[in-house]
Amino acid sequence: MAEVNPFKRGCCVRRIARFTISPGHLPHRKEFSTLAAMESNSQRPSRDEAAKALNDLTADRERLVHSIRVPWLLLAGYGGLAAWWVGSAATASPGENYEPPTIGGLALAVVLVVAYLIQRETGIRFRSIGFRAMLAATGIVVSCLALFSISLGLVSMDMPWAVAITSAMAFASTTWLAGAAYRSAVEILHRG
Amino acid sequence: MDEVRFDEVIHAPLRLRICGLLRPVDRLDFAVLRAALDVSDATLSKHVKTLNAAGYVVSDKVASANRGDARRIMWLSLSPAGRSAFDDHVRALQKIAGPGGT
Repeated sequence: MAEVNPFKRGCCVRRIARFTISPGHLPHRKEFSTLAAMESNSQRPSRDEAAKALNDLTADRERLVHSIRVPWLLLAGYGGLAAWWVGSAATASPGENYEPPTIGGLALAVVLVVAYLIQRETGIRFRSIGFRAMLAATGIVVSCLALFSISLGLVSMDMPWAVAITSAMAFASTTWLAGAAYRSAVEILHRG
Repeated sequence: MDEVRFDEVIHAPLRLRICGLLRPVDRLDFAVLRAALDVSDATLSKHVKTLNAAGYVVSDKVASANRGDARRIMWLSLSPAGRSAFDDHVRALQKIAGPGGT
């Protein structure tokens, strides 16, 4: 009977697989074969191997992109912030004595907190969000400014109740545009 | 003629895939990376440790409010050296896989 050399690489891998790792953490058989192959093969790959490695990188990225869910609940936080700001026009007094609402600092803090929570929720922090996402973010600012101006106009016409409508519009448009920006950032990830 | 630059650390298939997922992002949660690669915690930890030791991957642990125990979220990102080594390695692979490759 042939003597087993415990220091032989393949032998060690098999022993670890059988006895050392608990079943809950036991990698798939496929992983072991891959690990064994990669530890022993540090040579320059063939053309097919190189092509397969590049295809694997693309497939991994696609799997990651498809696993990402748009965090609508947290993005609705941006919508709520926009609705709050536009709604604050209802208590303003347009005219000579007009004073803009002083919630800028608080709004910025909420934006940063929600951005942080989105990262924690999704487990991804993007390197860049891309042009389309920037366009969507600009759209949020422009639509909120427009809706705020309309709200002030409504208040000056003694229709403060109508601010509820512009406020709801700010919520919907901001949430939708924030979702579009997030999806665009995910697409950037897909393209690499 | 340009010589392809293989990196022995990144050459291992799983480490190449880890770098491939970390390359386009600023940072990625360990759990998200594990799910995308479909590997076990132990396997991923082993290779992240190797990349960390080579200075290619930076890990950062933060407390998790969602967990009742002392476990933390581990954020992983490629260091500038890691990005450079990965880019060189991918260029080398593209050169081999492309027309005229061996």
